[in-house]
Amino acid sequence: MYDADVIVIGSGGGGAVAAKELAEAGLQVLVLEAGPWYGNKNWQNPNSERGGEWSSSYNDLDVALYKKLYNGYENNMNDGVSGVFRFGPADRRRTPWHRVMRQKGDIWQLSGVGGTTQHYWTQSPRAFPIAVDGIWPISYKELIPYYEKAEATLPVQFSPTTPKEELFYYGAKKAGWQLIPTLNVTTPGYRPNPNAILPTNEHLMDPNYSLEQLSHMEGCTLKGNCVNGCSVGPSVDKIAKRSTLVSYIPLALKTGNVAIRPNSFAIKILTEQDPKEGLRATGVQFRDTWTGEIGELHAKTVVMAAGCIESPRLWLNSGLPHNAWVGRGLTNHCFDWVSGVFDEKELMKVLGMPSVYPYAGHTSGARVDIPGTGIFQVSCLSPGLMSYLTYGFSEAGYNALNPPEPGAPWDIRGRVVGPQLKELMMNYTRTMTMLLLTDDETLYHNRVEVDPLLKDENGPIPVVYYTPSKKTLQRRDKLARYASETLKQAGAKTIIRSDTPFSFMLHIESTMRMGYVTDTNCEAMQVKRLFIADNSVHFNGIGGPNPTLTTQALATRTAEKIFNQYFA
Amino acid sequence: MHRAKSYINSIDLSTVATFRALVEAIVPNTPALAVYGAEQTAGAVDLHIHEYMIWELDHSLSLFLGTHLTVVPLAAPTAQLLNAGAVQLVTSGRAQHAPNHAVWESSPYAALSPIDRIRVLAMLEQLDVDLGSLPPPYQYDGGIVRFMVDFLNRQTMFGNYSEWSAYGTTRLATPTERRLEYFPISWKQVGYPGVVPGYRALLGYKLTIVREGGESTIV
Repeated sequence: MYDADVIVIGSGGGGAVAAKELAEAGLQVLVLEAGPWYGNKNWQNPNSERGGEWSSSYNDLDVALYKKLYNGYENNMNDGVSGVFRFGPADRRRTPWHRVMRQKGDIWQLSGVGGTTQHYWTQSPRAFPIAVDGIWPISYKELIPYYEKAEATLPVQFSPTTPKEELFYYGAKKAGWQLIPTLNVTTPGYRPNPNAILPTNEHLMDPNYSLEQLSHMEGCTLKGNCVNGCSVGPSVDKIAKRSTLVSYIPLALKTGNVAIRPNSFAIKILTEQDPKEGLRATGVQFRDTWTGEIGELHAKTVVMAAGCIESPRLWLNSGLPHNAWVGRGLTNHCFDWVSGVFDEKELMKVLGMPSVYPYAGHTSGARVDIPGTGIFQVSCLSPGLMSYLTYGFSEAGYNALNPPEPGAPWDIRGRVVGPQLKELMMNYTRTMTMLLLTDDETLYHNRVEVDPLLKDENGPIPVVYYTPSKKTLQRRDKLARYASETLKQAGAKTIIRSDTPFSFMLHIESTMRMGYVTDTNCEAMQVKRLFIADNSVHFNGIGGPNPTLTTQALATRTAEKIFNQYFA
Repeated sequence: MHRAKSYINSIDLSTVATFRALVEAIVPNTPALAVYGAEQTAGAVDLHIHEYMIWELDHSLSLFLGTHLTVVPLAAPTAQLLNAGAVQLVTSGRAQHAPNHAVWESSPYAALSPIDRIRVLAMLEQLDVDLGSLPPPYQYDGGIVRFMVDFLNRQTMFGNYSEWSAYGTTRLATPTERRLEYFPISWKQVGYPGVVPGYRALLGYKLTIVREGGESTIV
């Protein structure tokens, strides 16, 4: 009567990890993924034809197909409406799946095997211990072995230095930050990013190898478009940037215990009343995104890893028991974005080079961590993405209509349009940009709900609300000042603060909080055998560091708990 | 067949004129910048970004209406939103420049000077308008107005400074059928070398994680 031991919903940052860990423990695992699968022989034209139904073999992976689809062009890859990377069905003739947001901002999530890790910047820092100890229902110490395991599996390594990191370190040092050579950050300071990217190819600087040749070998070539889909490597499982599509998914397939079904949107958690356990999960109802057919699968346990918006949506649309914290307590690191434009002369003085080369190296390779406040990190992007993040959207409106107050550390605040935009963009190669992640206070009013009226083919659609607290905004402002100071110390002539819209959703966390919706094993308190393994189970925003590694560590731990509790 | 042309010919003229005016105000044609190279003059209209915006808005939303999933085109109502804003800017006496009356009939928004078009966007995002006079789905829904004004800005820039315009005659085809026809002008404008297999840009490693026996140390 069971189709498997475990069904995992979602194959992104958490789901792929849970699937691999459970399969390695010997369990039979089925994975449902709403979006397409890139680089698999069963789906030769994943964006225009239905292809197969399931894949369960490592031999189905096809690097030539993967490279054809991951072409690195920013509009083709990252357009939120029509891109390869979008939250929508595989069929690119169709519209994306809608979420309602009644405020400025954007939701940067993807569907597809590998989920949002397909375009994440691979940052894999651990949580700040002070954001966990005495706050989470589990301790930081308890997470460490799982961090170690996820870091070794991906693997995580410190970023190489390229010109933009060199410039960042130069500015950070002059601004008074100390180097912190650690993975457990307890004091403020700067360090290279711990990134899930393979070390650079050992022959990268050897002119006897062409760059084209190197891009088919193992190791990063500093190609620079992590966010637009890395395609460097000799095989799918040796692609330099370690999205779960190329790290955990191939490992899961190698066990022989996992089958993955893309193009399958989970629409309902199936439950039953058990005399001993009470309400428990027994399976999942899903919709084939090509045919519209509805299928059901049954298993002894179910793992929700659909992401911080879709996991609560699925709970609510399944009619699971009322819990006041489902979808609540959303944290988002309340981002900001601060940029500096440099003169060629100044760059020659500092770097001996005339450019920042923002398109070379890891998309983000260096950071300053400040426990209690947040972090800022050098984050250089291709021009389309860079223009909209730097000049295109803002909580503050238009710089020309509302310039910064005199004495502010930035020369420009808010959107820039007209001739001034074009002049600034002419300086693209001499602009260093930084992403700021705030230690975001967890508030009950920040939430995911489902709309009472609006539905798509997968049920009532999500509505997302986020308004930061005063404390969060104070911390964000502090970070903007620190980042401006670092850019100034590095020699920047013009500083631009975008004042990013509060609802620019990249690091959504804690909408199904441990301690409120789940117990410390990440099992739902009201539904037995239903586990959560995505960012939504975090208790808070972990102090500001990028959340993926913590999700992966927790998913590793959750898999162990599932096995011990129901299968040992 | 010129596929892009046939698509855009199916859109009403007022919507096209309004989106041309929008993207021109955000990324203008700038003859003065020709001193830095002839390619620097091209603006968003030269790169057909108004068509990009119309395509994006008409392909961004599907809802279940009655018994069917229905695509809800947003370009025309969004053009009407901008035009409603333009009318309110002018009637409230806040326009800096007199509108161009030759264009006013088909698109009040396009009749405004570029800076007044930006004022309309600012006015809309501050909800400094009569929300009842806006077309659906914007009518009495200030939150959606705010979201959209922000989208209009960033998406114009993303369209303009990405490779989209270089899809040339295939630019308005289904995304899987688009083919690059040349190197994007906007990438030339900013000095982006495009998508390449790598860069010999390694300056060393500041720190390294060494793993032994399930634990890591940093050197």
